[in-house]
Amino acid sequence: MNAQEAISTGYGGAAKLNYLTNGTTLKSWLLTKDHKRIAIMYLVTVSAFFLMGGLYAATIRLELLTPASDLVESGTYNKVFTQHGILMIFFFLIPSIPAILGNFLIPIMIGAKDLALPRVNLISLYIYWLGGGLTLFALMQGGVDTGWTFYAPYSTTFSNSFVMLVGLGIFINGFSSILTGLNFIVTIHTMRAPGMTWFRLPLFVWAHYAVSLVMVLGTPVVAITILLLAIERVGHVGIFDPTIGGDPILFQHLFWFYSHPAVYIMILPGMGVISELISNFSRKKIFGYEFIAFSSIAIAVFGFLVWGHHMFVSGQSIYAGMVFSFLTMVVAVPSAIKMFNWTATMYKGSISYDTPMLYAIGFMGLFLIGGLTGLFLGAIGLTVHLTDTYFVVAHFHYVMVGGQVIAYLGGIHYWWPKMTGKMYSEFWGKISAMLVFVGFNLTFFPQFILGYQGMPRRYASYPEEFQVLNIFSTAGASVLGIGLLMPAVYLMHSLFFGKAAGDNPYMHPGLEWRTSSPPPTENFEVMPVVTWEAYEFGEESGMDLEAAKQREAVTA
Amino acid sequence: MSSHYSDKFVYHEPGLQHQFDDMGQQEESVSIGMWFFLVQEIMFFGGLFTAYLVFRSKYPMAFAAGSNHLDAFWGGLNTLVLIVSSLTMALTVYYAQKGNRNMQVILIVLTMIFGATFLGVKAIEYTDKYNHGLIPVAGLNKKVKAEAGAEHSAAEKPCWEVDHNAPPVEHPNPHGEFIWTDCSLAKMALDENILTASEKNQYLVRDENNKPVIDANKFRDKVRIFFFLYFVMTGLHALHMIVGLGLMTWLLWSAFKYKYNGDYYMPVEMSGLYWHFVDIVWIFLFPLLYLLGRHFIHGG
Repeated sequence: MNAQEAISTGYGGAAKLNYLTNGTTLKSWLLTKDHKRIAIMYLVTVSAFFLMGGLYAATIRLELLTPASDLVESGTYNKVFTQHGILMIFFFLIPSIPAILGNFLIPIMIGAKDLALPRVNLISLYIYWLGGGLTLFALMQGGVDTGWTFYAPYSTTFSNSFVMLVGLGIFINGFSSILTGLNFIVTIHTMRAPGMTWFRLPLFVWAHYAVSLVMVLGTPVVAITILLLAIERVGHVGIFDPTIGGDPILFQHLFWFYSHPAVYIMILPGMGVISELISNFSRKKIFGYEFIAFSSIAIAVFGFLVWGHHMFVSGQSIYAGMVFSFLTMVVAVPSAIKMFNWTATMYKGSISYDTPMLYAIGFMGLFLIGGLTGLFLGAIGLTVHLTDTYFVVAHFHYVMVGGQVIAYLGGIHYWWPKMTGKMYSEFWGKISAMLVFVGFNLTFFPQFILGYQGMPRRYASYPEEFQVLNIFSTAGASVLGIGLLMPAVYLMHSLFFGKAAGDNPYMHPGLEWRTSSPPPTENFEVMPVVTWEAYEFGEESGMDLEAAKQREAVTA
Repeated sequence: MSSHYSDKFVYHEPGLQHQFDDMGQQEESVSIGMWFFLVQEIMFFGGLFTAYLVFRSKYPMAFAAGSNHLDAFWGGLNTLVLIVSSLTMALTVYYAQKGNRNMQVILIVLTMIFGATFLGVKAIEYTDKYNHGLIPVAGLNKKVKAEAGAEHSAAEKPCWEVDHNAPPVEHPNPHGEFIWTDCSLAKMALDENILTASEKNQYLVRDENNKPVIDANKFRDKVRIFFFLYFVMTGLHALHMIVGLGLMTWLLWSAFKYKYNGDYYMPVEMSGLYWHFVDIVWIFLFPLLYLLGRHFIHGG
């Protein structure tokens, strides 16, 4: 029996080759064009960056345990929070869901053999490694202290840290993001299986279409901004230096033109994951499919029109501020549409509280708080009081961690059986999901109060009256840290000792559950023809419900 | 749906990649991918055009003065060269579809000659800037020693009476600094009271009679921003031209090997899209950089 026949012999054949066993040499991984292997390599690297960013976060929280600047001095503290931000944003949050789950799932979800441009996909991984490697090298040389925003003229004239090297790392890394987004757009346009119309696409795919638009349209602008910054730093030509006629506000405009949409790069894929989780674990067709799909596109479009709300107090015209404030309120609407539709989907659904669903429910609570506090900051009057306080820190952590990281963890847990073929411990999964939720709230809710009371961000020391809430926050960070480390342990454990998951452990109708776990290199034994709508749970889904149930009974 | 991996007798068209079902799907994918790539290129240059827009509206006279120093003849010649190269590129695609190998080779060689001509002219222009101390980064210009005892008219006259046709040796530049001594346009605008608010704020100082006068150094710094944008924009454009020439070399080799015909010509068409895009960027750069100040030359 040759390898090709082995793939098509159906379920349970011992010799069945999947994408993990089809080639075991290092070369077969490093030169692969298989989107699934590339996704696994992203998973390993992104997790390493997440760990490093987390260690910086731990340092920050430990320093803030006491009012004085005693664990690290102020200069070091500047580097610590800068590097926490750079690693987490550019090397963890932005590639997390798109490059790992998106890469792995989009071709399978639309019924294709691979992404449209597999070589470009591999190149983007190498670019990510190159950019990440350069940045790590710069951090080992001594790091950077400008804040992740690189505001000029501090970054161009005054900072004595490794701005150039880190800037180069981020510049290079940006092209990884651009190429990934471009690949997704092309794939979703041209690679859909017969019958997989636009409105049968899973909402995860719609979210990734929207996020890809933002990646392709936004990232080049920050690339050119970093280039200008670098020339200004080396040659001092004066473009961002106000003392000789340059314009630092221009830097902020160019920077936030990318970096605000980048916030949506960080949250939109999470929303895609949550749409999948909520609908599937409620075993109910999602409420308002078209509204959720188009709200993703609306977020991508409006996300490009609100960057000025980062500059309310930095010298931007007051009339521009009013327009940006209004548009910021507008961009909240599509997010709210998603929240309402998810809630309506759960209503009268048959909800099962598996680990991924716990994460999804956690997401809804945390994202709600994160989103609503965003309206406080978008209100042009109130924001004068709140700018650069811990209120801002708490707000974006509620969205970035409470939103994207929680969704990422939910997604990893949900598709882990598909990616590895193994089931993790449900017990420990639930424990860790709840620890993350509790620990997260304990960490960041006190920061809303701290910020409202006026504690500024980015300082190593603070007045003594803020200490109690900071102790709460640091204690919460410890719980959160344990909650985040636990999956690393039990997921790795499941790789070696977990029970076989079966092809469709949750009895869900998506295309990814209609192939084997792990999938073969070509994704499907017989290329699918789609005759059902998204999120069909009954007979209309075309699934062999009886056979699937029996298989589940065997594997469970 | 065909499933290629299980059927070794399926006819594979020569250029078909494994992930596609047929050539139509592949061509559509490649084409959409290229167009989105060009969109991100537009955003890439867009950041620079934004910077240009901001500073031109802030300092119109400094930009006009800098622009007048650029040679519209060379710029115009390059525009012509690029437009003709777009024609030869478009014809290459046509003959690739026809499968005419000899015409493809001739036209690709012509396109490459035009591209190289463009870069040669650019090199001449950059050398001129180097000789005249117009590269905005200090130390990168030609270092001209100050002659002991020589009279420097620039140092004595106010900056708006500088004879800007004087030979470059009149401006000693021992450290290769950015040099700009002529502010006659700003003076004209001051006299006619058409300076913008930010120009008044940024060019002028008060003299002993508390009258606003042009400060030569302040004006120079704004002209330097023009030349900075000139070098970044044309430099990035030239970089794209060099990449284009690399693409052309690859196309030339493949065309020479009879690779392209009516069934398989996407690489030619995609390279053509790229080439036209780079041309179009120049079509915007030329008037913005070379022509904008000519209006003011004769006091018009």
